[in-house]
Amino acid sequence: MKGLWKTAFIDPLREFLGQVGAFMPHLLVMIVILTLGILGAWGIKSMIFRLLVAIKFDQICGRMGLSQTLSKGGVREAPSHLVSRVVYWSIILIFLMLGLGALNLKPVDQFVAQVFSYLPYLLVAIVVLIVGFLLANFFGRATLIAAVNAQVSQARLLARAVRLAIILFALAMAFEQLGIAKTVIVAAFSITFGGVVLALAIAFGLGARDAAKEFIEQRMKRNQHQKEEDFSHL
Amino acid sequence: MLQDELKSQLQSIGQADILVGIPSYNNARTIGRVVQAVGAGLAKYFPEARAVLVNSDGGSLDGTPQAVAQASVDLENILIAHRVNPLHKITTPYHGIPGKGSAFRMIFEIAEALKVKACAVLDADLRSITPEWIELLLRPILKQGYDYVAPYYLRHKYDGTITNSIVYPLTRALYGKRIRQPIGGEFGFTGELASYFLAKDVWGTDVARYGIDIWMTTTAITRGCKICQAYLGAKIHDPKDPAADLSAMLAQVVGSVFSLMEEHVGVWRAVRESEPIPLFGFQFEVGLEPISVNVDGMVKALELGLKEFIPLWEGVLSEKVLNGLKGLSPSASELKFTDDLWVWVVYDFALAAHRRLMTREHLLRSFTPLYLGRIASFILETQQSSHEAVEERIEALCRVFERDKPHLVQQWNHQVNRGGQP
Repeated sequence: MKGLWKTAFIDPLREFLGQVGAFMPHLLVMIVILTLGILGAWGIKSMIFRLLVAIKFDQICGRMGLSQTLSKGGVREAPSHLVSRVVYWSIILIFLMLGLGALNLKPVDQFVAQVFSYLPYLLVAIVVLIVGFLLANFFGRATLIAAVNAQVSQARLLARAVRLAIILFALAMAFEQLGIAKTVIVAAFSITFGGVVLALAIAFGLGARDAAKEFIEQRMKRNQHQKEEDFSHL
Repeated sequence: MLQDELKSQLQSIGQADILVGIPSYNNARTIGRVVQAVGAGLAKYFPEARAVLVNSDGGSLDGTPQAVAQASVDLENILIAHRVNPLHKITTPYHGIPGKGSAFRMIFEIAEALKVKACAVLDADLRSITPEWIELLLRPILKQGYDYVAPYYLRHKYDGTITNSIVYPLTRALYGKRIRQPIGGEFGFTGELASYFLAKDVWGTDVARYGIDIWMTTTAITRGCKICQAYLGAKIHDPKDPAADLSAMLAQVVGSVFSLMEEHVGVWRAVRESEPIPLFGFQFEVGLEPISVNVDGMVKALELGLKEFIPLWEGVLSEKVLNGLKGLSPSASELKFTDDLWVWVVYDFALAAHRRLMTREHLLRSFTPLYLGRIASFILETQQSSHEAVEERIEALCRVFERDKPHLVQQWNHQVNRGGQP
């Protein structure tokens, strides 16, 4: 009975405790890494925030129209807060990966290695998206202003089309960078873009022939008005 | 930076007393007359002066340089019998950004190289120029000790709308000098001032384009130059190219005014009231050609601008201005863009440019529909008014600009947090 007790309960328990004992230092290291990560992330977040305030990052975003876009999307936080928060969580994520690596578990190690090898692509994709988003806002607004000043009644539609095209382009580039359905994305983008151009050409040539005629007539009339207007603004 | 051929031409001339500069681009139709008037003016009023005429051309394709070369004055025909120094003519292309300012830069370079005492610049599209303009622009410099002569014209009541509605009232309120045509196009100035202009590092900005006139006038004011005005009579010129982009022109002029505000804040902040500037020349009455204006097009531009730009201006313009703009009736019969609202719009745009609340180019270009709306309202209001009554309306507008200037001064350095913008 005593032998059975030892074999069935004591030995597995001892083995388990041994494994736990061997695992504890790794766990402790992970907790230390995570704690350091949280502290470091908090410090870097504060530093980044102060730096962004110093370089007037919020005003720059305001000028680029980013603040207004974020506000429209329900994001009420200032861009400097947003960026410092993203940096904070990115650092936490990196330290979490390092901490998981410290556990010295083979499947986890493999997962961490994969994540780290993927990180550069992820970063490039994020940068591409941010730059694409900024450019889309900038050119969208430039198109709107130019179209309104040229008295194009569908100015907003035109501006949205430009903005959407740039965002689509940036998304395609980001997905391509991430290696997600590479061929599908490129093909889908080419088909969509080509399709839009073809649709516009057909619409203008056939379906919207009257609208096109009206548009050109209006432009000619406006040019005529301009010619009639012989005063100098200066 | 002068080309070798031009250098040798200048070396052969040596020194000169007077330089008259004419910037041009496809002005073959009118420039010959302008050159003849310059020749006659110099022969009549400055016969002993060593004079040079410089045509700084932007690559005209219509034979403008040939028109300059062929233009000559029959002195007997204008009853000049005395000995006259020959007029040297130089036609040269300018370098740099295409625009009037770059053409002026070339003129300043030649003025400096020839060590001239006095310069005058004239637009090439003038149809009403007479030889007397040369005397009126140059004599105050050569004989009266003035540094800068601004033009004073009789213009149609709706001609020069950027001048009348923005540049004149704003310059007057800011710097306290009542220069009626600060961007007139015809100026006289000393050779020393030309060298000062040339030395400034502004030739990569809007000053190289349409911003040159207001930059020269403001620089002369802030440098403490002795300034006067010359009564030139009627200003009649060829209509501008209809394809010329009003939005770009407005952005360049207004942008230059705003940039100058940044540069000279120490000067204009202290100015409390404006003073008149001496006006020389016999003030005669002239008949002005009627001009046509498309008010409906302007009202439509305002309507579309208000519809599309109000969201852009949220957080950029003050609540007071935004509410005022939202309350504007975009119909020609009811449109009333008051002086009070207009002054606040201009000041708010200046403040927004100063605080960099929006990309500068976008901000300035979004101003166009408001400008057109204001002009439409002004034209509708003064349709039956005489020239004198319209001048009085412009004076009233200037007084509103001056009255509300303390608001601009107070807000200039005041960092506000509007509409969630830091």
